[in-house]
Amino acid sequence: MLKKNELQQLLDEGLKTGADFAEIFLEDTQSEVIRVTSGEVTSIDRGNTFGAGVRLILGVDEVYGYTNHVSYDDILNVIENLRSSFNNKLHVSKPLGDPLPIRSSIKQPMDQVSMKEKTSKLQHLSRIMKSHDERIVQSITQLVQTEQKILVCNSEGVYQNDLRAHSRVILMAVAQENGQMQQAFEGPGRSMGFEVFDVLDFEKLAVEVATSAITLLSAEDMVSEVIPVVLHNGFGGVIFHEACGHPLEATAVAKGLSPFVGKLGEKIGSDLVTAYDDGYVEGTWGSASFDDEGKPTQRNLLIENGILKGYLIDYRNARKMKMDPTGSARRQSYKYSPTSRMNTTYIAPGKDKFEDIIKDTKYGLFAKKLGGGTVVPATGEFNFAVQEGYMIEDGKLTRPVRGAMLIGHGKDILFKIDRVADNLELGQGMCGSLSGSIPVDVGQPTIRVSSMTVGGAGGRK
Amino acid sequence: MYTQWIELGKQKGLSELEIFSVRNKSLSLTVYQGKLDSHVKSDVEHVTLRGIYDGKMSLVRFENLSTTHVETLIDRLIENAKALTVSEPAIIFEGSPSYPEVKEERYDFGQIPVTKKIDLLIALEKDILDHPSVSQVQSTSYQEIDTKTTLINSKGLHLTKQNTYAYAYAIGVFQKDDDIKTAYDIKLVKNFDDFNAKEMAETTIKQGLQKLGGKTIPTKAYPIVFSNERFADILNVFEPIFSGEAAYRNLTALKDKVGQQIFGDNINITDDPLHDKSHFKIPFDDEGVACYRREVVKQGVFNGFNHNLKTASIFKTEPTGSGFNGGISPTNFYLEPTDLTFDEMIKDIKEGVYITDLVGLHAGVKTVSGEFSLQASGLMIKDGKLDHAVKMIVVSGNFFDMMNHVKGIANDLKFELFAVGSPSVYVESLMIGGE
Repeated sequence: MLKKNELQQLLDEGLKTGADFAEIFLEDTQSEVIRVTSGEVTSIDRGNTFGAGVRLILGVDEVYGYTNHVSYDDILNVIENLRSSFNNKLHVSKPLGDPLPIRSSIKQPMDQVSMKEKTSKLQHLSRIMKSHDERIVQSITQLVQTEQKILVCNSEGVYQNDLRAHSRVILMAVAQENGQMQQAFEGPGRSMGFEVFDVLDFEKLAVEVATSAITLLSAEDMVSEVIPVVLHNGFGGVIFHEACGHPLEATAVAKGLSPFVGKLGEKIGSDLVTAYDDGYVEGTWGSASFDDEGKPTQRNLLIENGILKGYLIDYRNARKMKMDPTGSARRQSYKYSPTSRMNTTYIAPGKDKFEDIIKDTKYGLFAKKLGGGTVVPATGEFNFAVQEGYMIEDGKLTRPVRGAMLIGHGKDILFKIDRVADNLELGQGMCGSLSGSIPVDVGQPTIRVSSMTVGGAGGRK
Repeated sequence: MYTQWIELGKQKGLSELEIFSVRNKSLSLTVYQGKLDSHVKSDVEHVTLRGIYDGKMSLVRFENLSTTHVETLIDRLIENAKALTVSEPAIIFEGSPSYPEVKEERYDFGQIPVTKKIDLLIALEKDILDHPSVSQVQSTSYQEIDTKTTLINSKGLHLTKQNTYAYAYAIGVFQKDDDIKTAYDIKLVKNFDDFNAKEMAETTIKQGLQKLGGKTIPTKAYPIVFSNERFADILNVFEPIFSGEAAYRNLTALKDKVGQQIFGDNINITDDPLHDKSHFKIPFDDEGVACYRREVVKQGVFNGFNHNLKTASIFKTEPTGSGFNGGISPTNFYLEPTDLTFDEMIKDIKEGVYITDLVGLHAGVKTVSGEFSLQASGLMIKDGKLDHAVKMIVVSGNFFDMMNHVKGIANDLKFELFAVGSPSVYVESLMIGGE
């Protein structure tokens, strides 16, 4: 590994290009994916991401270079390759400071748990799903673990290391009956080591996944309608993530590609909506002590009682927007320049009770579990898939439905939220954007949207 | 270095091992408002080492190429192989009798100065921005990639291949009153001179203008025409159902259907590593197996799964040169076109929907059951002709059912960047969710 004084010299070399900001990001990540299929350990893959990324900025212009060769000369070579980029007076880097302590801790690091212990836990969960019902024809469990060590330093004196551990268990069941196949899936994770098995009740979840796959066998195809939709807590928060979170990222705002540009202090949603993006909630999947520019993460208020309060801003976009960075700069790896991203984003709990929201809905869709979704920032149009849904008829949950797809506009939906329950939960996902794929939490209590377009294949005459 | 690692692995007790190395050099540029917005240059070598210990195969992927690191990884690989409980064929390949020859000249994009590449993007951005309906150009991007792949194994196989290309596109934001739409057209070239900013801008503008002023439509079943690009998207997301791994793992409805009629008799799906319209010509897969042209579906009859060495051995058949990236995928996988022009294909449709955009393909599709439900937009088809724009609709159906109700296939085969291709396709009827 490079020494601090060598990094300081390299930063100065970076500034010799004429840049007014230089940054070096070093990464060494180990990852492991163990896969169990119907009770058998079928693959164990080991991965390593290793390299350095160099970022030079002048004003708001940026160049980035990266390589998996990380000696002093190799990094100097990356800088040399970027040298022709700027013509400006020379700057000198500030002395590198001391790193702040890392908040997160790993109780059971990946390589200190025996492979036997890991595989037997996964085999057990796989068998729970498989033996749940004879119509379950396939059950897959996976343990995905990563340990990312980073060091980021820049010409403004930041010198910060961090250690991020992520553990996620993926459970999937396939049910088959009369030639028809249905699948169900869950993938909870935490920012921690193998102790994730002490924190989460995977056995209960395995039963839920198997039950869900069986339920889908008898579900009817969703009929396309414009109706009230009750979005359940936890992963239901993906609606806010896609439709509102992404347009609040500086990547969209700084270019004017967001419906929320210039709307700070204005009403952008119903009074019931208060939302945060929190960079650090202990143990959560999307958490980090420091962002990928070495800045401590923080809790950012985005919306308060329907009023827009803030954006998510990285160093470079802070310059463009003339606002302060919010500790939100993230990247998948050294292969990406960092930019503004979400961590743990959620709608704050309200006062309603889940049962009352269902009871007070005469007719609508209860989206119990959502799949993924997409938003086009420039248009604000979004879509997301319902993985498990039920019709609400006369205030009661009735028939299961499948294949429902929800579509809408980000700027409309916030106003259409007319009920917010008190049962906040988080759900885990991987979020893909400019700086790669990163772990994030989405979250919300159960909410009701007064009307949404719901698509589906049902209702053919 | 590689042979040294093979020696090391042998010493540590691996019976066979293989190094698969990909060295990727890339340059990417984006321009925004007439200025360079980002400039990224990279050089990364990524190695996958597969080894067999006690008859079981495991693998490690790494970028830290120091010998001490590789040594610890080989130890780790042995531990992991020991922990596998499944008994599956573990094969390191001695090589195919011959390999197809890729007749393509290698072009050095590095010889073109960066300023010329930036100028291309600035011109492209300006040409799009000049159109009165364009409110802005979200980003204008150029990327060049040079990939060198080396495969060396303990059975004496030593193969290399190199792939060099560049692509560029601009995302235009089109606006008319309150309606905002985006459009882009990706151009991939093997020679820098093939870029033409004017033509690229024209295609992007044409696409954007088509989308403006769209309305939603009443919910009901309509005849549906998918554009060639969008049908390729659909074929791409359902491609895993043709995988031998999926068959082995019970994750495809095509299991036990080899030799049977699975689609309408007008459906022909081919995998062709050297197809002249494809962007990438592929002589061998990541396990060193030669690739060759195969008719996967012929007149609706399923001829067999895509196999890597392992699944071919399990199903007692020949590998198909489909072992890529640790899993199974085809090379250039496409729906065969016909002689029918697009206009002829749609001429008898009284009221239908032509779909040019699909959003959310990663979420709205279930490959196992075949169900899909996707946000879409496009154009109405009225009395056999394209009509006004349609937006904010959901198209839903079942892939298996749909492939049995294809009424027309056009002559406009086009390959997407992800190496799946299709002509435009007319489907008898699918549900549209609108208002």
